[in-house]
Amino acid sequence: MKPIRRVLIANRGEIAVRILRTLRELDITSIAVFSDPDRSALHVLLADEAYRLGPGPSRDSYLNQERVLEIARRVRADAIHPGYGFFAENQGFARACEEAGIAFIGPKHATIAALGDKLAARAAAVRAGVPVIPGSEGPLETLDEARALAKKIGFPLMLKAAAGGGGKGMRIVRTNAELESAWGVTRGEALAAFGDDRVFIERAIERPRHVEAQILADSTGRVVFLGERECSVQRRNQKLLEETPSPAFDLKMREAFGEAACRIAKAVGYLNAGTVEFMLDEHGHFYFLEVNTRLQVEHPVTEMVTGLDLVAEQVRITEGAPLSFGDTPPAPRGWSMEARIIAEDPAAAFMPSIGRVERVRFPQGPGVRNDAGIYRGFEIPVYYDSLLSKLVVWGENREQARKRLLRALDEFVLEGPRHNIAFQRWLAAHPEFAAGRLSTRFLGDHFRPEMLAPSREATEVALLAAALHAREERLEIAIGGGNGVERSPWRWSDRRRAGGRTRP
Amino acid sequence: MKLWVTLEGRDTEVEFHTEGETLILELEGRRIAADFHRLPDGEVYSLLVDGRSHEVRVSPGAEALDVTLDGTTVPVEVRHPLEKVLRATMKASRAGAGETVVSPMPGLLVSYRVKVGDSVAPGQAVAVIEAMKMQNELTARHGGLVTDLLVDERASVSAGQPLLKLKAAPG
Repeated sequence: MKPIRRVLIANRGEIAVRILRTLRELDITSIAVFSDPDRSALHVLLADEAYRLGPGPSRDSYLNQERVLEIARRVRADAIHPGYGFFAENQGFARACEEAGIAFIGPKHATIAALGDKLAARAAAVRAGVPVIPGSEGPLETLDEARALAKKIGFPLMLKAAAGGGGKGMRIVRTNAELESAWGVTRGEALAAFGDDRVFIERAIERPRHVEAQILADSTGRVVFLGERECSVQRRNQKLLEETPSPAFDLKMREAFGEAACRIAKAVGYLNAGTVEFMLDEHGHFYFLEVNTRLQVEHPVTEMVTGLDLVAEQVRITEGAPLSFGDTPPAPRGWSMEARIIAEDPAAAFMPSIGRVERVRFPQGPGVRNDAGIYRGFEIPVYYDSLLSKLVVWGENREQARKRLLRALDEFVLEGPRHNIAFQRWLAAHPEFAAGRLSTRFLGDHFRPEMLAPSREATEVALLAAALHAREERLEIAIGGGNGVERSPWRWSDRRRAGGRTRP
Repeated sequence: MKLWVTLEGRDTEVEFHTEGETLILELEGRRIAADFHRLPDGEVYSLLVDGRSHEVRVSPGAEALDVTLDGTTVPVEVRHPLEKVLRATMKASRAGAGETVVSPMPGLLVSYRVKVGDSVAPGQAVAVIEAMKMQNELTARHGGLVTDLLVDERASVSAGQPLLKLKAAPG
C-alpha cells in the first residue's frame, strides 16, 4: 500500500479538529470539508485545505456521499477519515471509497456490513465463544414467537431493532401486556428509522454497567486490547462521562474481557481501530452488545493512559504498516476521565441548545486535555450534534482524576448556548460517582433537575453582583405609571452599548 | 445609596458605603466588603466578596438582570427605593384639571424633553433628572398641553419641586 500523504476528513466539529491535529503532526496534508454554516468552523481554520460541500442540512453536506467523494477525487486525497457519525459505519461509503481508489480509514466494508447487523454480530460473538445476553437466536417473526421466548427467558426483556444502534430502536418490556403493545410500536419505529422492521429479544439487565474494549488490529493479523472504558453514565442511552480503567474491574476480569474482545475481532477478520461493547451485570458477568467499527467519541481516555495516538495508529494500519509498538501495547498508567461538554439544558430534559459562543475560556494545567470544536464568536449550527468539547483529564488514580475533573470544570467558562458544565460538576461531585458505583440508570436513580439550582452562596453573590452592576451603570428610571404599568421597570442606559450592537 | 434587589420573589435591601478604598455592602444586617472589577472582555466582572473570588457575568435580560456564575444563570431584579417616593408624588399631582410634574428627588434638571405648546401623551418623557450619578427620565402621567417650564435647565432642584405644568388636553 502506498504511503498516505493527503487525508480528507469527512466530518466536522471537535472530532474533525482532533483528527487533523494528528495528521499535521504526521506531516500529512489535512483536508477539511464544510457546509455553509460551518464556513468559519474551527476545523476549516486549522486544516491545510478546506472545500465546500453544500448547504447546512447533513444530507446536503456531510452526508452527501457523491459530493464528498467527488471532492476527494478532485483534490487527490489518498485516504478519507470518517471520524464518528456521518459515514463512519456506512459500509456503502467504505465500498465506494475503495472503488474510487481512496483508502477508507477504518475496517473493510464487508466487516462493517457484518457487524452493523446486530444479529449477525451476536452470532459472531456466539461463534467466538463470547457470552451474549440470553435472547432470541434470530429475528422474531410473530408475536406468539416473542411470547413463547419471553416465557423461557423471563422478564424484564429488551425488544430491539436488528438494524438499531446508538441506543435507538430499543424498548424495555416488563410484562406480557407491555410486550404486546411494544411489539408493533418497536417494529414500526425500526421500519421508519432503519428501513428494516426485524426485531429480537434479549433479557434486560436492570442496572447494567456499560463497559467496552478498545482494540487495534493491523494487516499482519495482530489484534491488541488497549484496556477497557466504562461509559455507564448515560442519558437516553447517550454517554455523558467515560473513564478508563473501569472501577468495576479487577485484573482477572480485565484479562478475560480483553481476550473475549480480541476473539470476536479475530473471528470477523477485523482491521483497524474498533470498540467491542459489553454490558456488565451486578455479579461481574459481561455480555457482548455490539462492535463499533470506528473511532469512538471517548477514545482520548485510552490515549491518556496508554500514551498512544489512536488516529496515528489508524493511519499506520491503513498504510499496511504494523502497529507502532509491535506485539505488546504499552501498559496503561493511571486513570483518565472524559466529560462531554454538550450544548443542552440538563434542567430542561437535556434539550439541545444553539446560539453564538459569547465567551469561552478552556481549562488548562496539569493532566488536562480539551478537544473542542468551538471558539469565541462561533455560531453553533442547528443541523449537527450538540457535542461542543470533550474535557479529558488524567490522574495517578481515580480519585486524583476525579478531583482534577472537578477543578477543570470549575475553570471552564462557556457562555452563549446553554450547556451541561454545571451538570458535569454535579455528577463528578456525587458521592455514588466518587465511590465508583455506576450503572446506566445512574441519572434515573440519582438526578433531579432541581439539584442544579445555585447554592446559597452563589445566589447571594448573584444578588450582590446585580446590585453592584446597577450602581456602576448609569440608570434611568422610567417614572410614572401613567401608561398603566404598575411597576415601572428600570431601564439600563449602558454607555458602552449606546449606539452599538444591541442584544436580541 | 440603597437599592432593592429581588431574587426568586424575595425583596432585599442593599446599602452601599465606601470606607476609604473599600466598598461596603450592607445586606440583611451583615457588612460585606466587595471589590467589583470589570474584566476586559465584556459584561464580566471579577467580584471579591470578603476576599472570596467569583467571576460573574451581568447582562440585561427580559425582566431583570441575568447574572451568570458557575455556569448557572440567575435573574435578579434591581429597583430603586425612590420609586416609593415617586408613586406618592405622582398621586399628589394627579388631582386638578391639569398636571404638574414634580421632581421626585433632589438633583439636577439635565434637560426638558418638551417645550411649551407641545402636546404630551400619557407616559411620555418630559424631563431628565440626574441624581446620585444616575439619569432618571420623568414622564407625564396624564399628558396634555405644556403650558409652563418652571426651572432652568442645568439647575438644581429639590424633592417635590414643580418642574412643568400641563393643561388637560381637550376631549
